[in-house]
Parts: sequence; C-alpha cells; structure tokens
Amino acid sequence: MSLIQIRTLPMLLALLLLIQGCVTSTVDEVLYEGPKANLGDASVVIMGRRHASDYETEPDFIECVGDHIKSADKTINVMSELDFMNALYPWFEPRTAPLRPLDIERLIQVGPVKRKLEELKTEYMVWIDGETVRTEGSGSMTCGIGPGGAGCFGFGTWGNDANYEATIWDFTDRQEVGRMSTQASGQSYMPAVVVPIPIIAPVQGTACDGLGEQLLEFFSSE
Amino acid sequence: MSGLTTIARWALPGIAALLVACSNNVVVQGNFPEPVLDKMPYTIGVYYDPEFRGHEFFDEASSREESDWLVRTGDAQVQMYNTLLPGMFEKVVMLNDIPRRDRVEAVGGEHLDAVLVPHVAELQYSIPSHTKINVFEIWMRYRYELYATDGELLADWTMTSYGKTPTAFLQSAEAAVNLAAVVVLRDAGANFAMNFSSVPEVKMWMEQVEVAQDSLSLEDEAATVEPAVGNDSGEAEQ
Repeated sequence: MSLIQIRTLPMLLALLLLIQGCVTSTVDEVLYEGPKANLGDASVVIMGRRHASDYETEPDFIECVGDHIKSADKTINVMSELDFMNALYPWFEPRTAPLRPLDIERLIQVGPVKRKLEELKTEYMVWIDGETVRTEGSGSMTCGIGPGGAGCFGFGTWGNDANYEATIWDFTDRQEVGRMSTQASGQSYMPAVVVPIPIIAPVQGTACDGLGEQLLEFFSSE
Repeated sequence: MSGLTTIARWALPGIAALLVACSNNVVVQGNFPEPVLDKMPYTIGVYYDPEFRGHEFFDEASSREESDWLVRTGDAQVQMYNTLLPGMFEKVVMLNDIPRRDRVEAVGGEHLDAVLVPHVAELQYSIPSHTKINVFEIWMRYRYELYATDGELLADWTMTSYGKTPTAFLQSAEAAVNLAAVVVLRDAGANFAMNFSSVPEVKMWMEQVEVAQDSLSLEDEAATVEPAVGNDSGEAEQ
C-alpha cells in the first residue's frame, strides 16, 4: 500500500501541475490589403506600444508573438524588438516612436535613418498595443512552519484579462495594411491542502497564440 | 573559552552576512546604442562634474522588512552621454574643467563652439511594494548648461526622463532596478537628442554660430581674392 502511495504521489503531483485553468479567447481581423506572400530576405519587426502613461505592452508578449511566427515559418525574418530599437536609436523609443504610418515619411528625411532602414530591409512593422491585467481575486490561504514541517491551507482564485491590438504598417508604401485584435480571459485557482497547487489559466499565452497565428497567416508564404 | 571563540568565529561572518543582506547595492550597467542622427556641425566641449560622474541615490529602509538601496548611476550616465554626444555633434572634446572668464585655458586651446555641462537636478523613484513584484520606476530631471568658451552662460534648461522595469518576469530586485535605470538613461538620451535644437536659447546660439561661420567663410573668400587684386594693382602701377 505504501509502495503504491510512493509511486502514485509524484504522478499525482505532476498531473496537478499540468492542470490549467480555462481560458476563453476571441480574435478579430481587418485587412485593408490581402496577405502578401514571399517576403524574401525582407524583415518584419514586431514592436510594443509604450507611450501610454498607465500601462505598457509587455516585452515578453512581443517576444512570444515573434517566436510563434518564427517557429511556424522559418522563412520569415522577424527582427527582435530591442535589436531594432538599438539599430535606430533614438527614433523608436517610447517618447519618439512614430504613431501614424505617415510619420515614417518624416523619418525617411533623416539620411542616416533612411540608410539604416534600407540596410535592415524592413518591409513590415507590427505595432502591438495592450496588456494583460489581473482582475478580481478572492479566497485566503494560511501557511505555517513548525518543528514537524511546513504547510499551507486555504483556497485562492483570481482572474486575468488580456486585450491586445496589432496594427500592420507597410514600410514601403507607408500605410496601414491591417489590424488584428485578440481578447482572452481566464480564471486561475490555487487550492492548498499542505501543498499549494496552482491551476493557472494561460491567458497571456492564449492571446499570444491567437495573435501570432493571425499574423502568421498574413506573412506566411507556406 | 576556546569553544566560545570557535562559535564567534563561525557566527560573526553569519551575522555580517545577514547585515549585508539587509542592503542592496546596484551599480547600473547597460549598453547604450550609438544614435542614428545627422551630426550637427559644431565642436562641443563636454564637462562632467564629480557629482555627475559619481551620481548615486540612496533609499534608507523605513522598516525591518524593507532593505536599504544604494543605486550608483554615475558611470552608466557618463557612458550613455559619451556614446550619445559624438553621434550628435561633428566633434566632441572632453574637458577637465568648466570654462570661466578668468580661466579660458580650461578648454585646452581647442577651438570649441560651446561647452555642455549636464547635471542631475532631481531624481524620484517608486517601488510598488503592494504588488510584491520587482517593478521599479525612476524619474529624472537633468539640467543642462551651455557655455561659451569665455565662460558666458549661453543656455540653461532642463529635460525630464522616465524609466520603468520593462518586465518583472524572472527578475531579481537588483536586476529590476538596473533595468529601470537603463530605460531612464535611454529616455534621457532620446529626449536630449530630439529636443536639443528646439530649446529657444540653444536655437539662438545656433543661429549666432551660423552667422559667425558664414562671416568667417566670407572673410576667407575675401582673403583668397585679395592677392589677385594686389597683383592687378601692382601691374597697374608698373
């Protein structure tokens, strides 16, 4: 009996760790121009909007969307956000980044910027604006430690909402060619009987997959 | 007695380690990119005063649960300006002193159009302790002085910058502070680069330098034409 317990306990714990909270998500898309195939050696850059005072688009989310596209279609050259910002410093910092496609015209007037953009072969720029926020939470948990061991008891739950919008700019034509948005929400739980077991809803990950998939459809030649 | 000494020998480093653990010391480190700009046709002298070079801020813990913070930003901000300014101006000369009316030699005999002296005027920061995540915010106000080589103050203005830890994911508190400081310095550089020529006093100085450069080039042209005139007149005399 004790042998069965020893064998099943780690499996049970592993299973519990794999359990995820439920997430619901929706994706909307508006394209002004049809998806273009064969980007060739041109590059796409995905950037986060950070000019608002009360929130910032998370760099992890931008990285996640880029990784999603790169892993699904290796022919797409997705440039890292930080590399692009460094290559064109100080033109894409939160306080200086262009807010409309027409602002690219102003950038092109600066000789070194024009040369750098040509060198980087930037064909499309995707601006992602949004954030994942924690919504209502409830429950309580008490943890204690003593000579006999440590443990927690209680139950906690909280929600997460992700809301992101991606705007695609065509660098060559200096115009907006598409807009996509994703919304995801989910509830996470943390029951604790001696050991706290987090059942996390992958809200941001789901939003990343949703937006990444839509962008992939736009850029992918496969 | 020897037992007590042994205990003390083992316990003292432990106590010292615990005391050290109550304070955080961060020397800000980061890579600052070269700016992609059309260089302005000026030779600028730059002087960083000792306070600027060794700038740091200290936050004393207000309770036993909190820890002291000492954040050294001096080296990083000097590194940022040393990368930024040569990308903005045709030539940058580092100076060991501020130019004054009685000490023109401070500029070291170099032809300079002006001397820039940056200062940290104000710094504020916040630690959102209620969220228990490692996200820090820093706000800085820089004061810039632009001097003529004879020590005359040409312009004196301030610019602000803001930085926040971009992500709290897998960050230690020290790394989060460092990241926020790097972001605030990048923002300071961006603000300076984009708005330097819009400062009214700086604009006026740029116009004066332009006029001076134009009149110099006219004098040069005149000087190259004069010998020919002299020859003509000489020939006429003969």
